[in-house]
Amino acid sequence: MSGEVSQLEELKAAIRGQLDSLDCVIGWEQGYDPLHATPLFIRSEADLERLTISPLAVHNPATYTTGFKGKKIGLVVRGCHSRSVIELLNEKLIERDEVVLFGLCCDGVVSQRKIRAALPADPGFVEAVELGKDELHITVAGEQATLKLQEVLADKCLHCAYPDPLVADVLIGEKHAPRQAASPACQDAFEALGNEEKLAFWQDTMSRCIRCYACRNVCPMCVCQDHCIATSRDHLWMSQENTPVENFMFQMIHVSHLTGRCTECGECERACPVDIPLMLLRRYMNKQVREVFGHQAGIALDKTPPLLTFQVEEARIKERDW
Amino acid sequence: MRIGVFICHCGSNIAGTVDCESVVEIAAGFPEVVYATDSMYTCSEPGQEGIITAIHEHNLDGVVVASCSPRMHEPTFRRAVERAGLNRYMFEMANIREHVSWIGKDKAHNTNKAADLVLMAVEKLRRNRPLVAKSFTTVKKVLVIGGGVAGIQAALDCADGGLDVVMVERDQSIGGKMAKLDKTFPTIDCSSCVLGPKMVDIAQHEKISLYACSEVESVSGYVGNFSVTIRRRATYVDWTKCTGCGVCTEKCPSKRSPDPFNEFLGTTTSINIPFPQAIPKKAAINPDTCMKLQKGKCGICAKVCPVGCIDYEQQDELVTVEVGAIVVATGYDLFDWHKYPQYGEGRYPDVITSLQYERLLSASGPTGGHIKRPSDGKEPKNVVFIQCVGSRDRSVDRPYCSGFCCMYTAKQAILTKDHIPDSQSFVFYMDIRAPGKGYDEFTRRAMEEYGAQYVRGRVAMIYPHGDQLIVRGADTLAGTQVEVPADLVVLATGVEASQGAVKLGETLRVVPDQFGFFVESHPKLKPVETNTAGVYLAGACQGPKDIPTSVGQGSAAAAKALGLLSKEQLESDPAVSKVNVNRCVGCQKCIDTCPFGAIKAVTDRMGRLKAEVIETVCQGCGICTVTCPQGAIQLEHFTDNQILAEVNALCPPKMNNVSFE
Repeated sequence: MSGEVSQLEELKAAIRGQLDSLDCVIGWEQGYDPLHATPLFIRSEADLERLTISPLAVHNPATYTTGFKGKKIGLVVRGCHSRSVIELLNEKLIERDEVVLFGLCCDGVVSQRKIRAALPADPGFVEAVELGKDELHITVAGEQATLKLQEVLADKCLHCAYPDPLVADVLIGEKHAPRQAASPACQDAFEALGNEEKLAFWQDTMSRCIRCYACRNVCPMCVCQDHCIATSRDHLWMSQENTPVENFMFQMIHVSHLTGRCTECGECERACPVDIPLMLLRRYMNKQVREVFGHQAGIALDKTPPLLTFQVEEARIKERDW
Repeated sequence: MRIGVFICHCGSNIAGTVDCESVVEIAAGFPEVVYATDSMYTCSEPGQEGIITAIHEHNLDGVVVASCSPRMHEPTFRRAVERAGLNRYMFEMANIREHVSWIGKDKAHNTNKAADLVLMAVEKLRRNRPLVAKSFTTVKKVLVIGGGVAGIQAALDCADGGLDVVMVERDQSIGGKMAKLDKTFPTIDCSSCVLGPKMVDIAQHEKISLYACSEVESVSGYVGNFSVTIRRRATYVDWTKCTGCGVCTEKCPSKRSPDPFNEFLGTTTSINIPFPQAIPKKAAINPDTCMKLQKGKCGICAKVCPVGCIDYEQQDELVTVEVGAIVVATGYDLFDWHKYPQYGEGRYPDVITSLQYERLLSASGPTGGHIKRPSDGKEPKNVVFIQCVGSRDRSVDRPYCSGFCCMYTAKQAILTKDHIPDSQSFVFYMDIRAPGKGYDEFTRRAMEEYGAQYVRGRVAMIYPHGDQLIVRGADTLAGTQVEVPADLVVLATGVEASQGAVKLGETLRVVPDQFGFFVESHPKLKPVETNTAGVYLAGACQGPKDIPTSVGQGSAAAAKALGLLSKEQLESDPAVSKVNVNRCVGCQKCIDTCPFGAIKAVTDRMGRLKAEVIETVCQGCGICTVTCPQGAIQLEHFTDNQILAEVNALCPPKMNNVSFE
C-alpha cells in the first residue's frame, strides 16, 4: 500500500497549499472503529493529519456542498463524486469558483454490507483493520478474518465507467484506461421479473422501510433543503403513515425528482439502515433517460438534464410526422 | 363552505343516459353541499337565474354545475355567479355530457360516474379561493402576417377602423395567390383589376406599414402587448430610394433567374420586379443568380440605377414592433403533384399545374396571355384537365377536399374556349362541388355553353405519343375506359398549408392540425379566433378557401382585433403561477423550463435568490409547477392540493392498508 501512502502525502501537500484560502476541505477520517470512515471537515493543519483515502472512505463529499453556498471550499472527490459535482454545477446549485476539487483516481471502495456478510459473525466493534494489496485483514473479538478486496467492493465500483474524476483542479494517482459501464447482475435479475413479482418484491421490501429519510439526506442531488415534499403538509402528497404504499410513494417521488439527475453514486443504498436496494429504481430510471433523451447525468459540464428544459419538440421523441 | 350543486339535463343530451335526479340525491350528501338541484337547461336564462336565486336564498359561497364541457359555458356560469356577488373562481364545472352521457349507454354506470365527477368538482371547490384579475393597457396596433387577399382585407379594415397596422409579407410583393390569377370565378372579372386597387390602398394608407421580403422571426409577450421581431431579408436594393423605374431589370445580363411569380414557367432577370402591379414596386436582387454577388463581376444595375439605390453589401435586418393583436393570413401552397407516378412525375413538360395555366392565360404572364404549351410553344387544341390532384386522396395523405378546384377548372375550361375558339376541353372529375352563389350555374355554363366535356373518373396514366400526350382513364358513368389525346394537361392541384406554417404556429403558439392548417378556437362559433388570445386567423391558413370566403374572414379577423383593442384595458387571467418564497430555494429550474419567459430571478432582503412570476406574461401552462421539486411554485386555481383532492375523491386513500391494491 506504499502507493496509497505516497498518494495520501501528495494529497495532503496539495490541500495544505490551499488550506489558507479555503473555508473548509471535505475528506474522510477514521470513524468510530477502524473499519468505518466518516466525513472529515478540514479547517486546520491538525485536522489534515487525520485525513484518510483508503477504500473504506466511502462517503460522497458532494452531498455537503450546497450547505456551503457563498463560501469557498475544497472537496476530495473520487470519479463518482466528481459526477455529482458536475451535476450540481450544471444545475447552478453550486458555483465552480467556490469549489476546489482534489481528485483521486479511484480503484473502488468497499461495501460495508458485503463485509458484514462475509465476516463469520456480526462485527459489532472492530478492533483492527489492516489493508493489504488485495486483501482486508479485520480483527474482531480477538480473531482475524481475511477478505478479498475484490469480493467486498461496492457494486457501483465493479461496473464503474468513470473511476477518475471528470473534473478536478488537482489530480492524484494514475489514470485508468477507459472502461465500459455494465449493468450489475442484480439489476438484470430484477428487470427480468414480471410485474406481479416486482410488486410482491417491493411490497415485501418497502415494509422494512422505517422512513428515516437517510437515503434523502445523503443524496447529493436532493437539494430542497427543509422543504421536502414528503414531509410537507401543504401540499399533502403523502401521509406520514409507515405503510409499504406510502413508503413506496416516497421512493417514487425521490426517483422522479432524480430523473436525468442521478449520478449513481450509490449513497442512498449505502445509507439505508434496512438494506433496501434503492439503486434498482435509480438505475432503471437512468436507463430510461439514456434511451429516450441520450442523456447521462454528471459526465459533462454545461449539460442540462432533459426534464429541466422546455422544447416544443424533443429531438428524439417524434410526436408528429409532417 | 356552503356549496350548491346544479345538475343539468341538457334536454335529453344528459338526462337520456344519466339519472339526473339520482345524481342530485347523491350530491346532496357530499361534504359541505347544502343545496342540490337539477334543471332542464342550466345555461338558459331561467337556469342561470335559478343559480343566482339559490345563491341568495341558501347563502351559498361556492357553486358546482355538472353539465357540458367548460370550453363553451364556463365563462357563462362564471358570469352568473359573479352577478350573484360571488367571486367567479368560486365555481367549478363537472363535464357529465362529453365525458359521460355522450360516450356511454349504461345508465347505472353513467349515473355513478356523473356522481364521481361532481364529487371531484366539490372537493376541488372546497380548496378554491377567490382570485382577482389584474388589468393592463394594450398597444393599439395590429400585425398582419401574409399579404394575400385575406391579409390585405384584414389590414385595410383594421386601418380604416383606426388601428395602426404592420403587414409582413414573405415574398417581394403582396397580392398572394390572387395576384397570379388571370380571371376569377364565377364572374370572370379580371383578378388584378379587382385586387390591384386594394394593394395600392395598402401602400398608400397612412396607418399601414408594409414589410415585404420579410418574415416573423419571434414573438414574445401576450394579448394586447406582443413584441414581434421581423427579419427583413436583404434585397440588395435600398427601398427608401428605389423608384421602381425598372431600368435595372432591363439591363441585367443575368436572365436565367427562376421566376416564382410565373410559377417557374420561364426565367427572369436576377434583379427583378415580379409583376407590373407589384406592391411595393421595388426591385430586389436574387443573390443565388446575381453575377456580382456570386462572382464579384458585373455591377451593371448599380451603374444604370438613376438614384443609386443598389447596395451589394446589404444585410438582413431585424426590426422589433410592439402590437396588441396578430392576424395570421399565411394562405396556402400547392400540393407537390410529382408524388403521383401516373401523371409522369414531371417527365412531360406539357403536364402543368392549374396555377401555371393561370400564368399562361394572364396578359402579364410569360406568354403575354397567349396559351402556348411549354414544350414547343404551340397552341394546344385538346386541353385535358384532371381534378383532385392531391385532394380527397388518402394515398397521398390529403383526404380533405381543396374546395375551389372544381370552380377554377370550370373557369379555365371557359377561358380556354375564349382564347382558342377551336379548342376542346376535357375534364376528368370525381364529382362537382359547386355550393356557392352562382357557382353551380357557372359549371353548367362551362359544360353547356362552352362545350367542355366532363368525364367522371380518375386518370390511370399519361404517356407520350408523337407530340401529344395520351390521357388514359376511366369513364365510370359509361363504364368504359377512355383515352384522350391531349396537347396540354392541366392538373387541378390541391392545396396544402403554406410552407413554414407549422414553424410559424410554434412561434405564435397557434396549433396546426395534422395537415398544417391552423386550428380555430371553435369550428362553428369561433372560426377566426385561436386558442391564443389576441391571435386571429384569416383565409386559407385555416383550411382551403376561395376568394370571397377569405375576404370575409379577413374582415371577420379585423372585427375581432378592433373589438379587442377598443377596450382601454384588458383583464389578465389570475389562474397563473405563484411562488411561495418560503419554499423557494432559488435553484431557477422553473426559469429554464418556462416556455414564455414569465419567471425571473430576484434577490430577497437576505440576499437569497428567489423565483418571481411576471403575472401578465404567465400563460398558466403549469410546466414550472411540475419542474419544481419542492412544490414552491404553484398554479393558482390548479394547485397540487386542489388536484390531489380531485384524485383522492376518485380513489379515496385507504388508511392502514398494507397492500398496493
